[in-house]
Parts: sequence; C-alpha cells; structure tokens
Amino acid sequence: MQLLFTLYALVIALGSGFLGALLGLGGGVIMVPLMVFLLGVPIHIASGASIVAVVATSSASASVYVRDEVTNMRLGMFLELATTLGALTGASFVALAAESLLKTVFGVSLIYASLVMWYQLRNNRRSWVNKPNDWLAERLSLGGTYYDEARGEEISYGVTRTLDTFGISYVAGIVSGLLGIGGGGVKVPAMNVVSSVPMKAAVATSNFMIGVTAAASALVYIRHGFCDGFVTAPVVLGTLVGSYVGARVTGHLRGVFLKRVFVAVLLLLGLRMIASGVGF
Amino acid sequence: MERVHFLEIIVSRLLRTGVLASGFLMVAGLGLLWATGDASCPAGVMSVSWMLFGDPFLEPSHVLFLGFFILIATPLLRIVASATAHIVERDIVFALLNVSVLLILAVSFVLGVG
Repeated sequence: MQLLFTLYALVIALGSGFLGALLGLGGGVIMVPLMVFLLGVPIHIASGASIVAVVATSSASASVYVRDEVTNMRLGMFLELATTLGALTGASFVALAAESLLKTVFGVSLIYASLVMWYQLRNNRRSWVNKPNDWLAERLSLGGTYYDEARGEEISYGVTRTLDTFGISYVAGIVSGLLGIGGGGVKVPAMNVVSSVPMKAAVATSNFMIGVTAAASALVYIRHGFCDGFVTAPVVLGTLVGSYVGARVTGHLRGVFLKRVFVAVLLLLGLRMIASGVGF
Repeated sequence: MERVHFLEIIVSRLLRTGVLASGFLMVAGLGLLWATGDASCPAGVMSVSWMLFGDPFLEPSHVLFLGFFILIATPLLRIVASATAHIVERDIVFALLNVSVLLILAVSFVLGVG
C-alpha cells in the first residue's frame, strides 16, 4: 500500500513538474487537488508537499533555463522585489481577507488574461509583439537576448511598460500571500502581454522567480509541522525529474504552441478558482 | 557582456548543485526510512536547527529533512550569490535589489507569515 501510494504520488508529481516547467507555473494548482481527491491526502499536508515541490520546479527548471540563457535574470530580480513585497503585504492581511471573494476575483482575472493572450495569438504569428525598451527598462538594461532552438535564430527583445508589470507583480504577490498560491498564472501574462517579453523568456523568468516566494512559505509550512516526509519526498523527487525534463523540452517547442497551451491551462485554472470561490 | 554570462553560469551551477544534493539526500532518507522502519519525525512544530543538525545527526528522518532544507535554501542562496556578484561588478542598483529581497524575506520569516 505504501509503495503503491508512493508510485501514484511520483506520477502526479512528474506530470505537474513537467507542466510547471513548461508553462512557468508552480504546478501546485494542479497537484494539490489530485493528491487530495485521488490519494486522500489531507489538504494541509498536500499543500505543504506542493509548496516544497514548487521550490523544486523552480530550481530544477531554472538550472536549465539560466544555463541556456532563456531566463531574463535582470528582469526576474527586478520583479522579485514586487512579488516578495506583495507576498509580505498579503500575508500580513490574511485574517482580513474574504477568501471566497478573492478567489472569484482572481479566477476572473485569470480568464481575462487568457482571453487577451488568445486574442493576441489570433492577430500575431509570433508569441509576442516586438517593441523597444521603455525608459526604465533601458536604464536597468532589462531587455534580453536568447537563442531560440525551435526557430534556429537569436531573439532579441525589449521590455515595455516596465512599471505596469512591476505593479501587476506586486498584486500577484499579494494574492499569493493571501491564498498561498504561486503567482505564475499572473506573472507570465503580465510579462508576455504587458511588457512584450517572448513567451519562452516569460515562462523561464517566471519559473526563476517562483522559487524565492515558495521557499519562504515552505519554511513556514515545515515549521508548523505540515510536512509528512512520506508524502513530500516522492512528490518532490517526481517534480524535480518532471520539471528538469520539461525545461529541456521547452527549448524545442515553438513559443506560439506554448502560448496556446498556456491559454487553455489558464482558462481551466480560472474556472476552477471561481468554482472554489463560489463554494463548489 | 562577458560578466553577465559569468553570473549565469554561477547561478545555474548553484541551482543544479542544490537540486542534486537535496535529491540525493531525499532518496537516501526515504530508502533508510523504509529499510529501518524508523519514521521518528518529531511531531508537530519543527525547528530550523533540527532540520540542520538533527537529533541525532543523520538519522533516517533527519537525512530526509536535511534534503528538504537544502532544497528550500537553494533559491535563497541564489540571491546571496547574485548579490555578491553584483557588488563585485559594482552594479549597485541590482545589488540593492537583491539585498532588499533578502531583507523582505527575513522580515516575513521573523513575522512567521511567509
């Protein structure tokens, strides 16, 4: 029984680590419900395992993305300030938040983001709109360059509306502090749609940032005893392997394809968030 | 440009080392737990010092939790490494960014809010 449980947990973790690395999401939103409903794991233990697994997704995929220089580290480090500040703000007000309202609003914004991305895909053959750096991005030299394996060419891009994306990341941080979820579903669309960052770079940069906020929450979870080694260890091991493989696969995929998958997943996540917000 | 590349190599290696070390400890810890049947994780609240030093050091469940701890410390060490690199490069704005993020994390940790 114990062995079978471990095997199932491994498989769930492999899948969500793979998807997480591919899409720049933590993967917790996929993993937690699967563990609770399929394996009967108590929700706080599943959340604890998933938050440690998000650290694994981030670090394993970033080790690949950073080496291949797809990650925009400067942009990531700049936005990290917004997300960590936001998480601190959110966590400080956790007692005041009406969770169901928050989930519904969050779900609606995810669906809105996915619709905007879908609209953009219809009008553009590439996964982003190429624009030059704005003044702030120019000053901090946030624009990036990476070699796109699928296209076989070097891609250079500028970062626009930097302050807007900084503000959105701050809000994403607040929401993740309040609801205890990663903000990948918000950060990727913000970078891609608002700041004109190519999809692959946005995914890689989101993965890079996620580890930091997740690490802070993970320590708190473990200190509170919400960590069962027999659940967390297989989940984290599976996630490590899944996200490493995911990060290697991403290089060979087209940005437009990634964006399509992202739009679909975001829509599902939004619906799920609204459903849980209104009490289903 | 060369120096930026340099930072990327450091960060990538650091992340990979952290991931591999924690993965190894987790596999070892899980294996030992199964072999010995000793699942004596301290119940309830767990201290950072237990995760680091164990009681006794390196008994099966401590091996496992040391693995978790190293994994969680990896992204934080990444910020420390890039702060240092930015200071060496005299990129003051980014050094300050890294240090502020560390400070915010420290504050959240002290407040226990994560």
